[in-house]
Amino acid sequence: MATQPSVLSGFIGRHRNAVLGGAAVALFFAAWQAIFLVVPFNPLFITKPSLIAAGLLDLVESGDLFHDLAVSAVPFFLGLFGAVVIGVPVGMVMGRRVRIGYALDPLMTVFYASPLVALAPLLVIFFGVGLPGKTIIVFSLAVFPFVFNACAGVRAVDHLLVNVVRSLGGRERDVYLKILLPSVLPYIIAGARIAVGRALIGVLVGEFFAASEGIGYAITRFADIFAVDRMFACILTVMVIAIALTEGIRWAERTAFPWRFGQ
Amino acid sequence: MAAYIQARNVNLSFRPANRTPVRALDGFDIEVQEGEFLSIVGPSGCGKSTFLNVVLGLLKPDSGEVLIHGNKIAGPGSDRAMVFQEFGLLPWRTVQHNIELGLELKRAPSAKRGAIAERLIGLVGLTGFESHYPHELSGGMKQRVGLARALATDPDVLLMDEPFAALDAQTRDLMQTELLRIWREARKTVLFVTHQIDEAIYLSDRVMVMSKRPGHAKKAFTIALPRPREYEMRVTPKFNELKLEIWNALKDEIAV
Repeated sequence: MATQPSVLSGFIGRHRNAVLGGAAVALFFAAWQAIFLVVPFNPLFITKPSLIAAGLLDLVESGDLFHDLAVSAVPFFLGLFGAVVIGVPVGMVMGRRVRIGYALDPLMTVFYASPLVALAPLLVIFFGVGLPGKTIIVFSLAVFPFVFNACAGVRAVDHLLVNVVRSLGGRERDVYLKILLPSVLPYIIAGARIAVGRALIGVLVGEFFAASEGIGYAITRFADIFAVDRMFACILTVMVIAIALTEGIRWAERTAFPWRFGQ
Repeated sequence: MAAYIQARNVNLSFRPANRTPVRALDGFDIEVQEGEFLSIVGPSGCGKSTFLNVVLGLLKPDSGEVLIHGNKIAGPGSDRAMVFQEFGLLPWRTVQHNIELGLELKRAPSAKRGAIAERLIGLVGLTGFESHYPHELSGGMKQRVGLARALATDPDVLLMDEPFAALDAQTRDLMQTELLRIWREARKTVLFVTHQIDEAIYLSDRVMVMSKRPGHAKKAFTIALPRPREYEMRVTPKFNELKLEIWNALKDEIAV
């Protein structure tokens, strides 16, 4: 029994950052729950963690949550996949070919910096509700981080390595495949972290505008019927997924490129 | 006998955008015999490395020409390979796969690549480090990989651009002796660029002193020291005599 506190403090010592972060989150929800002991509670406009948990359990048990998530996952991953396949090569060529880079840079910057979600209604008119429209919205938001990061990665490449390949008889194709692509991979992963967040926005906005299923649709539907607890259950689920994806990518970054961190 | 490498009146200027051109080489002439170990010493920025890059085929001279075996150099070729000062190892490749790079670019079959890499890993003394990544190696070991990679495509000419300048003094001394041992076994024509007169004398059959920029060949010294060379040779009167002679030719070119 006497060793119990030291085991606990040892655990806290080793995971201090995680413990601090977790404690803050727990405190936030506790405060949220507690504030309605003094503030009058009206379930039409506001909710509290206990009700959200009940709503979440309800959605999980009925299977609605998983159905909506599965529907939203399709345009999310299709759009992201398209963004990588198109964005990375475009960015790499922009980085390698100086004139192409200068020509496309202003255009790309305009699209990247502007709130493309404003175009969502137009995209829905063009491509319809449902999968194509949502995929296009996700793609158009997610592609630019890949373009810019791939471009920056190529520009930052160690030119000595390019010379090594050329001096050993490598052609331009070899420079792309053997030097540029491996050099930009860390940049692409970093871009993916940004793109994932934008892709989530894309899915939600797409489903807000016009959809009959999906997690974004569920959020608006629950809001329309004043089911604030279930609306928050959906929002929190999306948040957790966003964190899981971003942290997963962060972890992949550290394990996949030991030469960048192991020095 | 005609020289193996012949540089005739090589002129080259760099033209950075919006700035005045810099003349790097000005009527550079040199002749290297087959199997010879020739060092080029000169002040910083005199165009030593530029000349190596011309021989390598990465830079084209404005006028003049460089011939190897009577053929004009038009670009990189498998008869030449470079060992770079900053190693130039691909950080995402293991020692073995770094060494195989040139063979891969020549589309050599995988079994042949493996066999050549294995032999060279033994030659440069890296047995047991095949699967290590560059960031796990010391500077001296990195340059052993750089040397093995250059030897892998079996070039006739080995170009070495201050290969030991990034190493500490003791490692550099060891690597010089290692290089002589490897050179004895591999028998290549070597063009070696360095700042260090000691290093140049210890390694070379001949030492060429370059002028300050725009660089041209100032004076060549034959190093009539017997081979194989031992470390003790560096403290003999003959060695120091040569060192003084070369220093006297070099010092006027150095601006402080």
